[in-house]
Amino acid sequence: MAPDLTSGNLVQFPGKGGGEPEEMMDENTVLVQRTLRSGQSIYFDGNVVIVGDVNPGGEVVATGNVVVMGYLRGVVHAGAGGNEKAAVYAFRMRPTQLRIANHITRAPDGDDNGPIVPEIARIKDGTVVIETFSSGSER
Amino acid sequence: MGEVIVITSGKGGVGKTTTSANLGAGLASLGDKVCLIDADIGLRNLDVVMGLENRIVYDLVDVTSGNCSFRKAMIKDKRFENLFLMPAAQTKDKTAVSPEQMRALTEEIKSEFDYVIIDCPAGIEQGFRNAISGANQAIVVTTPEVSAVRDADRIIGLLEKEDLREPKLVINRMRYQMVKHGDMMSIDDIIDILAVDLLGVVPDDEQVVISTNRGEMVVMNDSSRSGQAYRNIVRRIKGEDIPMMNLEEEGGFFRKLRQIIGLK
Repeated sequence: MAPDLTSGNLVQFPGKGGGEPEEMMDENTVLVQRTLRSGQSIYFDGNVVIVGDVNPGGEVVATGNVVVMGYLRGVVHAGAGGNEKAAVYAFRMRPTQLRIANHITRAPDGDDNGPIVPEIARIKDGTVVIETFSSGSER
Repeated sequence: MGEVIVITSGKGGVGKTTTSANLGAGLASLGDKVCLIDADIGLRNLDVVMGLENRIVYDLVDVTSGNCSFRKAMIKDKRFENLFLMPAAQTKDKTAVSPEQMRALTEEIKSEFDYVIIDCPAGIEQGFRNAISGANQAIVVTTPEVSAVRDADRIIGLLEKEDLREPKLVINRMRYQMVKHGDMMSIDDIIDILAVDLLGVVPDDEQVVISTNRGEMVVMNDSSRSGQAYRNIVRRIKGEDIPMMNLEEEGGFFRKLRQIIGLK
């Protein structure tokens, strides 16, 4: 039975192209409670939540969203299989390469001296954009 | 029952063999009975670094294949009564030994020693799997270079898979001047990525090269900074709480260093 979403204080996650919370509920989600080191990878049909870092050389591929509760330094692919509404959330967003659906991006060459704050990457108007993450009304 | 410690790194040339020889000699100098095993079959170096090459009669492969007992293959060090070396075979390759044989061998050896230190070959193939199979502790050696740190990260992941959790880190060939000028990764940068306990930092030192070429261990050189660093590491292995060396005159860096240690 589906949980009652109208009551209670559900956090409104942006992402999924701004879908309602229930859209987040119907997919599989896996919780990974460790750091992904170089050479380690996760492939999952659904959402992936990592409580730890993704180090350079590590790889996360998910057909849904990817949440990294730590430093994202490796390769991440959200929406693998073509879901353009998937998003990547990271407390520290510094991926080697970031892919969403069929879009592939990487950080610009040179020193990165942008702010180190929680960020979200998703597709807007056909391009991947990275914005500061704030829960609630933003989107 | 002794501790079996594997010294590994993934990348070659970061100082596994030097670290093995110095930690072995350091522990032996404090009175422990130590056995060093060279697991780098086909590319043996540990005997050369220790200046014992000309004493080898039997080797590791002779022991695992049942040609002789491990006591027969073991070479007593010329400086320390209680330091022994099990040399690798030079004419064979890594496939001459299996992880099961290594496990059985270390199981047999550790009952007679306080510490068994295994010098692991570079790479992540069979040589690596052989070397770690009998160990119950791991020391990962890295240098302040992105490639070495990347490989160390991979190795830590593989060690965790083999149930060698919480490996300790030795950062070798640190050049403090370069760190100060922002030209080299700092200890903080490395710990930030690898997230493991720091066992010690060995400064870049010409003395290491000089003593290695002579078949001596720098840990016995009282005046060298790297020797002091290795002596500190040895005492930390034995469970003493030794503060990190002050290798920089200025306080700023050392304070930072202390913060790292304080985090543990």
